[in-house]
Amino acid sequence: MNPANHISPEDLPLIALQLLPEQEMADALIHLEHCEACREEIALYQGDLAAYAMTSEMHSPPAQARERLMRRVAKEKKVVPIERPQPVSVAGEEPVLAPRRGMFETETYEEPRRSRGAGFVTWSGWAIAAGVAVVAGLQFHQRQILQSDINDMSAKLTQSANEAAKAQDVLKTLTDQGALQVTMRIPVPEGVPASHLPEGHTAYIADKGSLVFVASNLLQLQPYKTYELWVLPAEKGRDPIPAGTFKPDEKGNASVVMPDLPKGVAAAGFGVTIEDDGGSKQPTMPIVLVGM
Amino acid sequence: MDKCCPRNLFGPLVRSMDREDEVLTTATTQPAHEDAALLVRVQRGDEQAMAMLFDRYSRIVYSVALRVLRDAASAEDILQEIFMQIWRNPAGFVATRGSLGGWLAVVTRNRSIDTLRRKKPTEQVEEMQLPAPGNLADEAERNLMMERARIVIAQLPAEQRKTLEMAFFDGLTHSEIAEMTGDPLGTVKTRIRSALLTLRKGFQA
Repeated sequence: MNPANHISPEDLPLIALQLLPEQEMADALIHLEHCEACREEIALYQGDLAAYAMTSEMHSPPAQARERLMRRVAKEKKVVPIERPQPVSVAGEEPVLAPRRGMFETETYEEPRRSRGAGFVTWSGWAIAAGVAVVAGLQFHQRQILQSDINDMSAKLTQSANEAAKAQDVLKTLTDQGALQVTMRIPVPEGVPASHLPEGHTAYIADKGSLVFVASNLLQLQPYKTYELWVLPAEKGRDPIPAGTFKPDEKGNASVVMPDLPKGVAAAGFGVTIEDDGGSKQPTMPIVLVGM
Repeated sequence: MDKCCPRNLFGPLVRSMDREDEVLTTATTQPAHEDAALLVRVQRGDEQAMAMLFDRYSRIVYSVALRVLRDAASAEDILQEIFMQIWRNPAGFVATRGSLGGWLAVVTRNRSIDTLRRKKPTEQVEEMQLPAPGNLADEAERNLMMERARIVIAQLPAEQRKTLEMAFFDGLTHSEIAEMTGDPLGTVKTRIRSALLTLRKGFQA
């Protein structure tokens, strides 16, 4: 502060920039509460800073930013209070002129007197109505939020139930005594340790059309290629049925769990081929893994 | 106009408007009124009005935040935070205080600096009265203003320009700037003030 107790001209921009040390800022704010001249100076500097901010290079926010904001806005819908009607004022109105014998006399129209109690009752009625409307609005808003939460939870519950049912089916497929268990290999070349060769194992229940396939030591493919699993039907002359595509992870492991298969197809065996991305309707030779 | 908000802050712009006929003056001042009208609609819960404010000012807010934070994700966080503040409390900004665009630019800078310093958001500036720095609601006028501000800043002495940049966009205190540049504290303060006064004069010229 200078001798006249105003904030020093050098400190004014620092206040506008909010860069004064905490204690000095606190003192300055106390002074600003009572000093219009300093407030005006600060306001001028704020305007300068607003102009300076405009020197930033302009960038458009990401396209989804607007969507995100509007979603948040919709989520925080407002309960708009009902406007109360304004009482009609009669003060200052022209008095009513009524004709009298041979002359005009001024007659002041008087509002019927209302007791204070009646006014209070009228206003309290409005106040109660407004209060009820606001409470109803809030309750409606809360009900909507609850309904939305219930819908979310219900969807999650359904999803969990579906996942649990699928897990149950997988377990049944793996453990069912009637399941066809097939190990799939390729012929072992001489000198190559068997443990490093691709290998697959399939569990399949024909009448349920449920299948679980796991494989290991698979070779990595070119980016546009994929492995495809086939069910080889026992029925003669019937084409292989595609049972899902898969790509191995970095360790060469892969799986196909409960693909969409027709029920009641007895399998003679299973095979794996290499296809273009997206899979194929007919297997492309050679078969890289097979088990009968 | 409020006496603390001199109309000639962006003098040439305003004077050039004065020379136009009344219809043009009304047309050019319309968006500022629209800001006030939009804020009233926002207060009533009008989401469409909120979308219009976003379309009008999101570039300014995002650009200032990005300039300070240099990180797109953090800049968008600030953008969301500030517009949600308008949605939750539109009465926090009263149109008679000045330009909504100017207010948003300064509040964005302050919020971004707070984020940079991981401080609790300060509310002080939001209570301040800002002069209207031209009509920021109008895109053509906004572009003109930006261009003019850049020209004035480019003409500042290099040390003033750098000091103002460090204070405004980097949020460095005068002590930190003095430490970094080796200049005396008083010199740093004087440079900041001189730079802002030159900017103001540049718009008045």
